[in-house]
Amino acid sequence: MDIKQHFTKVIKENEGLIFKITTLYTNSIQDRKDLYQEILYQLWKSFTSFNEQSKLSTWMYRVSLNTAIYHLKQTKRRINTIPIDLETQLFSDDRDKEEEERIKLLYQQIQLLNLLEKGIIILYLDGKSHEEIASIVGISISNVGTRISRIKVKLRTLIIKNQ
Amino acid sequence: MKSAWEQLNKRIEKQEILTHQMIEKSTQRQYHSKLKKIGTSEYIGTLICYIGAAYLIVNFTKIEQILMQIFGIISIALLLILPIISLQSIRAMKKVNIVSKTYLETINTFAKQKIKFQKLQKLNVALGMFLMLIAIPVLSAIQGKDVSQIPHFWSVIFPFFVLFFLGFAYWVLRAYNRALNEAEKMLN
Repeated sequence: MDIKQHFTKVIKENEGLIFKITTLYTNSIQDRKDLYQEILYQLWKSFTSFNEQSKLSTWMYRVSLNTAIYHLKQTKRRINTIPIDLETQLFSDDRDKEEEERIKLLYQQIQLLNLLEKGIIILYLDGKSHEEIASIVGISISNVGTRISRIKVKLRTLIIKNQ
Repeated sequence: MKSAWEQLNKRIEKQEILTHQMIEKSTQRQYHSKLKKIGTSEYIGTLICYIGAAYLIVNFTKIEQILMQIFGIISIALLLILPIISLQSIRAMKKVNIVSKTYLETINTFAKQKIKFQKLQKLNVALGMFLMLIAIPVLSAIQGKDVSQIPHFWSVIFPFFVLFFLGFAYWVLRAYNRALNEAEKMLN
């Protein structure tokens, strides 16, 4: 398998990660597509220098999240993005409406968090360990725990307020 | 919260989100990173400033009054310096190290760069306003006109321009201040 095929395989296996980050850090479909492309480009650029398989997800999250921050300045968008509707393709008519509403509500509330909180909660919800979150975000492991608890309380309050 | 996220994950898994075409584009150098790109508007602005500076330099000998010559020199200096300040501040923002920095470091660096950029832009706007004010008599002098001979110049036209520029500067600076506040919030 050549390097390009390997890259394509890695990306296809982790495309959900990129999808979630691009949706949570943008406020329009065009913006999201631009961020997609930018993340892919940045991942490809650093792919050759990356060689430790065990840290693959750490590398992908780090590059994707950092790219998302720098993408904020590309257009006249606010730093705290406003809630948007998720792709309609994810919610076709035959789906469970209640489930759809729950997902949308969670997404909207996460978008209201500040950048640091947003990054931490994405990693937490994606099942990353405290060690991995600490390594990607750059805070201590104990701080990860404290921050997650605070974010949960904040999200819960926001969700209850909006229900 | 976790269950809603997992439901979303399941839905995403069923979608064909990234096309091979997008991946191909990124790996075949067909894509030009927007993060490092300096916009066309910045280059056009620089070109306009340099054309203005060249015009003043070429016609400088036509200016006779010492005061107007001083204004002329200041105008040329500003026209040459302002685009450099602007481009330098944009370039500083473009120095991105996406891979090696942690997320928190990236947020801090980004916010600090943004704050610096907004402050420089504010300085640029203020200097730009000053330039526009002193350029009026200089351009008149080049055309052989004495501004004081233009009817109502000092009583009506000049104060009107001052008010207009002050209003414009206030509007522009307010927008920059908003962006600055947002950047400062990121550091909290």
